[in-house]
Amino acid sequence: MTATLNQAPPVSPTDESPAPVASPRRGGGMNSSVILAILVGLIGIALTLGPVLYLIVGGFRTQGNLTSNPTGLPDPWMWQNYADILKEGIFWRQLFNSLVVALGTTIGVVLFGTMAAYPLARYRFKGREVIYLVFVTGLMFPLTVAVLPLYFIIKNLGLTGSLWGLIIPQIAFALPVTVIIMRPFLRAIPNELEEAASVDGVTRVGFFWRVVLPLARPGMITVGVLAFIGSWNAYLLPLLLLTGDAESMTLPLGVTQFQGEHASATTLIMAYTSLSMVPALVFFLLLERRIVDGLTGAVKG
Amino acid sequence: MSTIETSGKAAGPVGDTSSAGPRNVSPDLMAMRRRDQRRKWSEIALFTSPALILFALFVVFPVASAARYSLYKWNGVKKFSEAEFIGFENYTRALWGGNDPATQQAFKTAYSEPFWQAVGHNVLIIVASMAIQLPLALIIALILNRKFPGRSIVRVIIFAPYVISEVIAGVMWFIIFDPYGIATKFVESIGLSAPDGGWFESQTWGIWTVFFVVTWKYLGLAIILFLAGLSGVPQELQEAASIDGASWWQVQRRINIPLIGPTIRIWVFLSLIGSIQLFDMVWVLNRGGTQGQYATIATFMMQFGYFRKDVGFGSAVAVIMFLISLLVAVGYMLTVLRRDNDNSEVAR
Amino acid sequence: MAHMRRMAAIAALAASSALVLAACTSPSEDPTSGPTDTGSNSEPVTLTWWHNAVAGDNGENPLGDLWQSVADEFTADHPNVTIEIEQIQNEDLQRTRIPTALQSGDAPDIFQQWGGGELAAQVEAGYLMDLTGPLADTISSLGGAVAPWQTAGSTYGIPFQFGVEGIWYRKSLFEQAGITGEPATMAELGDAVNKLKAADIVPIAVGAGDKWPAAHWWYNFALRSCSKDVLQASGTSFDFSDACWVQAGKDLEEFIGTEPFQPDFTSTVAQTGATSSAGMVATGTAAMELMGHWNAFVYDGFMETDEDKAALSADLGWFPMPATASGAGDPTAALGGGDGFSCYIDAPAVCADFLAYIASADVQKRFAAEVGGLPVNPEAADSVTNENLKELAAVAGNAGYVQLWLDTTYGPNVGGAMNDGIVAIFGGSGDAQGVVDGMTAAAVVQ
Repeated sequence: MTATLNQAPPVSPTDESPAPVASPRRGGGMNSSVILAILVGLIGIALTLGPVLYLIVGGFRTQGNLTSNPTGLPDPWMWQNYADILKEGIFWRQLFNSLVVALGTTIGVVLFGTMAAYPLARYRFKGREVIYLVFVTGLMFPLTVAVLPLYFIIKNLGLTGSLWGLIIPQIAFALPVTVIIMRPFLRAIPNELEEAASVDGVTRVGFFWRVVLPLARPGMITVGVLAFIGSWNAYLLPLLLLTGDAESMTLPLGVTQFQGEHASATTLIMAYTSLSMVPALVFFLLLERRIVDGLTGAVKG
Repeated sequence: MSTIETSGKAAGPVGDTSSAGPRNVSPDLMAMRRRDQRRKWSEIALFTSPALILFALFVVFPVASAARYSLYKWNGVKKFSEAEFIGFENYTRALWGGNDPATQQAFKTAYSEPFWQAVGHNVLIIVASMAIQLPLALIIALILNRKFPGRSIVRVIIFAPYVISEVIAGVMWFIIFDPYGIATKFVESIGLSAPDGGWFESQTWGIWTVFFVVTWKYLGLAIILFLAGLSGVPQELQEAASIDGASWWQVQRRINIPLIGPTIRIWVFLSLIGSIQLFDMVWVLNRGGTQGQYATIATFMMQFGYFRKDVGFGSAVAVIMFLISLLVAVGYMLTVLRRDNDNSEVAR
Repeated sequence: MAHMRRMAAIAALAASSALVLAACTSPSEDPTSGPTDTGSNSEPVTLTWWHNAVAGDNGENPLGDLWQSVADEFTADHPNVTIEIEQIQNEDLQRTRIPTALQSGDAPDIFQQWGGGELAAQVEAGYLMDLTGPLADTISSLGGAVAPWQTAGSTYGIPFQFGVEGIWYRKSLFEQAGITGEPATMAELGDAVNKLKAADIVPIAVGAGDKWPAAHWWYNFALRSCSKDVLQASGTSFDFSDACWVQAGKDLEEFIGTEPFQPDFTSTVAQTGATSSAGMVATGTAAMELMGHWNAFVYDGFMETDEDKAALSADLGWFPMPATASGAGDPTAALGGGDGFSCYIDAPAVCADFLAYIASADVQKRFAAEVGGLPVNPEAADSVTNENLKELAAVAGNAGYVQLWLDTTYGPNVGGAMNDGIVAIFGGSGDAQGVVDGMTAAAVVQ
């Protein structure tokens, strides 16, 4: 079973689904099951979007307006709540930090994970399954179990306050999932390609770089997205490591720091939190189509 | 794991002639084979070493260290070499207050009761996820499993909360569930009142408010996973059944749900592991409550291990959490998931 | 070939990320790693300063403004020094930011310091700069007030305010409920509570959501229940076996049983928002609050106009914690504490000079006049005009003895356990014995 993932992978929500269960005798179109589906869909949208909209609109309110009329529209519209946050550098700085950390983690994970999965997929050697099992048991070691000692290790390495102190462990923790997902992908590459390459005088290493990697792209995208989202939303490790000033924090940590600093300005916190959702959502909207194949392949094992 | 073995051949090293050829091998061939073997091993090393080194240093070693720290009384500030070895005392303190009669009462109230309270919260979340989230997601997925106008928008939107960080979702809901906030105003407008003490602070309802927030965040994932599974169910089966006069519900129960069994079981597994490790959201929601009303094992560990500076004890709790995850994962894989493995082997 | 280009792109991305990372991490290291060797005024030095003065509900921040002017004046005098300020709300600062920063070694140069066992723990861990030598003059000028910021004969922090706590109340609400005179005993306080309830006013506001405001009730009961010797010995021995400690909890349970507080008190915070305990008193929703001297200017932060502020100030009264019916404690003893600042051990030497400036008579006078705080520098005592603060200072001066806040005295471990146990009493999930148990356990493991 490949799907021993301790981070649930995203699935494209726009999968094709079978046609409505309707016998040819019943007419198509608006029958009760379709209406039910629309109703449930609308309720789902309302429950999902409602709180988010409340938060976003709340960012436009004044404190007084929030307490006296929370369900109505803001009056006056405090554009400057959002404007002030966007004008001030700290939000962008934290966004940038999150981006750097997430990119660093993703590149490291995809690169090292695929590299490690390659021999495990296509070579035969003693101890291969043992190494694979090592990575599988890694799934049982969540960050929360290791975080205290890990914190001391990073501190001793002098990496507290540095974004590298965040990236390197995050790569390490994302490797098990990556290796487990990539191995079947790499396995599926036909041997004929490899034989043909060797006939052409290409080394195995060269084969990896030139042929395998491009072919494994769907899998790499899947693990890349997983790693990116995981890193982007990480909180515990940044909490312990990025202690110095708010400028060095990543975005989720920055939200809580902002909340602490402006505790009485709830609407300002709402604005900041709303803005912090945007990057993740944009990323998601751009990529949700690309994710499907890799994931369904992994889940179906 | 056995299914992976059979899918796709593991390619042997290119140019390896060891599996074929005549029995009498010349010395030159032997030398070449040895060279090939060495090259193969060095390539394996090259490819796997970055991952293995990082993994060993930053995953395996810390977990082993946690096991080691858990046997000491250490506050994380003074040198570890000066820490006092206390054997399994940290564990016994968590489980029943320790073995020292002089301090047992103290540790029972201070350490053991909050520990079991946190464990109880994790168990509650696990059970509630199975009893509430699973059926709910299943039914919604079954209902949404058709063409209808706006289908793709619905799917994208209900999946979105999964992508937002737990922290951001937590801050948002903390504002909404403020005792003087909009949730209170809403229930008061329909004649009810907010729980005694506050939505989160209530002794009885706090954990359920947290469960509600967790559900908000992760239900969409379950629905989408189930929908993906349902998309693999052949249309003809459903049509045939309905032609034979089966009602909609009978079709779901007899055909769709069993056929997405593997998907459901995978989701259950993910949910189990995630529920045991729940930290970020609970921590942001006021660290599990002023009296630990909804603390989880993970927040309990951080509270005592890091902020109260009892690193030895925190490590012991972490090890316990690891053992629980291991037991649950292995137990689940051996019992429930084995069925899927066996089935898919048979299907081959 | 396409894959080569992609490899190159990935490599370029990795390289540029590495460069960017290197560039990004260095600025965050600069502020805390200035030169520590020299008192020379020519090396450019940056000091990071974390303090707890954040804007009140009305958006004003008199203390924050004062600190900003102080910083500006100092940098004008010392052109090579830059001071970067981060204002952090009190609970976040004390519970999260300072502990994590000190633990990780990436700490600010100047940070809030409450003294007592908290300070002793930080000294033991080697986090604080020894100020005994560099600030000998300042220390002697401040007199006995520095004591909580000293340990083992050396000074590690400089206070800027100190005072005792008591019960703030709204005179008009007392009038409305028909209460004449300030309660001097717990029985009289109970009376006042009943009258306020009859008049449909919340008798006492408590910010149990932040834990320490609730804990202060227990501290005061302990002050009345335990003898001076037991109290003072516990600070070093961490011995809580005397029955007076459990008795304090029982007194508290009894008091809570009379339901003197606002509903949902564990969800109420202390200082932020109109629904905080301070907000309730400022807006006239609640009549009383047990708090320290700083509330004189915290309440101000809820008022928009100068007239409102003046009106509120005139309507505020203060009386010390009433005497209990029994107990070994000195009925004139008072619980008090204050705020100060410490320098991180790796901070530049000029940090100490900055602390001296903060404690100077001039700045302290402005603290009293512009912010409405209670300064420690004796030369600034006359600048205090607030009637309540004057009364407070008098009570402090006449007290049998002043005990430092218990959570500060005992340090973060025992203190944290104590506060948790007390909040459990408030929330109904714990009892008097539980508090002592928590403190005993924490003392064993620290």
